[in-house]
Amino acid sequence: MSQPKEIFVRTDRCVGCRSCITACAVEHSASKTLFGAIAETPRPKSRVYVEWVAPNHKVPLVCRQCEDAPCMHACISGAIHRDADGVVRTDADKCIGCWTCVMVCPYGVIGRHLEEHKAYRCDRCPDREMPACVDACPTGALVYQTVPAYSGAARQHASRELVQAEGG
Amino acid sequence: MPPGSLSKRKGVDVSEHQSQYVIVGGSAAGMAAAHTIRAKDARGTITVLSEEPDAPYFRPLIPFLVAGQKRPEDMALTGSGPYMGADIEVKTGARVAACDPDGRSLTLEDGARYGYEKVLFATGSRPYVPPEIEGTAAEGAFALRTLADARGMAARVARTAHAVMLGGGLLNLKAAFALLERGVKVTLVVYSPEVLSQLMDPEDAYLVRKALDDAGLAILTGAAATAIQSDASGVTGVTLDNGEKMACQMVCIGKGVRPNVEFLQGSGVAVDGGIVADRYTAASRPGTYAAGDVAVTHDPISGAPIMTALWTNAVEMGRCAGMNMAGIKTAYTGTFGILNATQVADEPFVAMGVVHTKSGDYEIHRRATAATFRKLVFDPGGNRLVGAVFVGDIRNAGLYRYVIRERMDVSGFKPAIIDHTLHYGHFMR
Repeated sequence: MSQPKEIFVRTDRCVGCRSCITACAVEHSASKTLFGAIAETPRPKSRVYVEWVAPNHKVPLVCRQCEDAPCMHACISGAIHRDADGVVRTDADKCIGCWTCVMVCPYGVIGRHLEEHKAYRCDRCPDREMPACVDACPTGALVYQTVPAYSGAARQHASRELVQAEGG
Repeated sequence: MPPGSLSKRKGVDVSEHQSQYVIVGGSAAGMAAAHTIRAKDARGTITVLSEEPDAPYFRPLIPFLVAGQKRPEDMALTGSGPYMGADIEVKTGARVAACDPDGRSLTLEDGARYGYEKVLFATGSRPYVPPEIEGTAAEGAFALRTLADARGMAARVARTAHAVMLGGGLLNLKAAFALLERGVKVTLVVYSPEVLSQLMDPEDAYLVRKALDDAGLAILTGAAATAIQSDASGVTGVTLDNGEKMACQMVCIGKGVRPNVEFLQGSGVAVDGGIVADRYTAASRPGTYAAGDVAVTHDPISGAPIMTALWTNAVEMGRCAGMNMAGIKTAYTGTFGILNATQVADEPFVAMGVVHTKSGDYEIHRRATAATFRKLVFDPGGNRLVGAVFVGDIRNAGLYRYVIRERMDVSGFKPAIIDHTLHYGHFMR
């Protein structure tokens, strides 16, 4: 079985430009274009968030697809399941807008679509090779890789720093 | 032929069955346990005994049947959400009458016997019908608990111009809105000074109350019913404790629930209100476990024994029991007595942890705008969040739940809690 890719966040690289937010909203609009999305009602919703922490850190936040997803088990209508690729999905048809998932998500990444009275969250952009947020990030703060590839790159980086620190 | 065999006993055919895991109760706790066991034990036989005639379903959805917005097949549990496990045998219409922990067997009302290696008691609760109200057995007097109850209510809607709801809790509010949806006039009779008194102090409920009033729900507070009148057509009216009589064709009683523990009489399984469960969800006799509404668990903040009747809590405890039954020792973290998120009359709200602050020493912060209200309750020292109520804006409620449950020291981000601007980034440094 091939390893599924995950969205990794490198907070040290985020400059808070919010390109990911715009790209996500556009991808989840009807027109899928920036100008079309701006004109749409209800306004297309982003599933990725960028928060600010003192003194001046920016933290991109997106659904972690938790292994033991609290939202999936807490859902009182069976609207949340994990698909074959490991992505936790909310079935809008089954969602009754009770917001129990919002109450239990420890990352705060489930949004409330007030016009449709449905919860919404990252769907990993099923129509794209690369999620829109990752594609749009100009600084590499969002990385779409498999766990072995990402940790391998992290080891490489750490090794280089170690060698440099030792005066290599 | 199903697992087990037929044998002769006392001259009648009594079916005998044997299953490695037997689960009594086919709702949230029982089914969560069954699917958890299956995820950890691919081969062990699992039998769920449910007294209801319907296959397991999402109980919180039944008001939608009354409203005419969902069909029973839209509420089926198996194959939805995380309930994807295979080879879980569910027996419907199977009511357990007795348990013999020494012989590790259960006896059903029809005499059938089920042997087990491990058994989970997840029998849930049933509506409490106050005995002081006369006439509650009348046709058209409901306590909405099961899919069968919902069918009964839905079937009577056509003959109902006015329905009186007794009790101002969440379930009755949901039922009330389902009936409003069908064009029925609805009056809510609440003994407490305000609706949802279990979930918030009366003065904190004003936005929810306003939303209910605006939605067309008639609400009488400080009143109780003494009798339900009926004739051959069923319910015809309700008499209140102030002597007032109201004509109506339907009554719905929402006065809380009581745990289903009677089948354990004489079994030696410890019952104190509900079934006593230890930190690992085990009941008091070998091979027995308890989860859900019927179990007595503990509050993670105070450690006090507690019983709740919430789907989400029942699933969580059922999953924990399933792990323990499958041999993976797992401590249950306990649950808040109050842990509710919902939306009534377009007004979303969340109530969790300590929300009643009339007595006790707390540091309380209330903030309100025209459309939102929030109340954050801290311990007397002000360094631990112990409860929260959000009305109108429930953004990021899960983070506050996490802070309460993990008893986090909030000194680094307390202003963000009070301002309702907390986000995950605050936990990262």
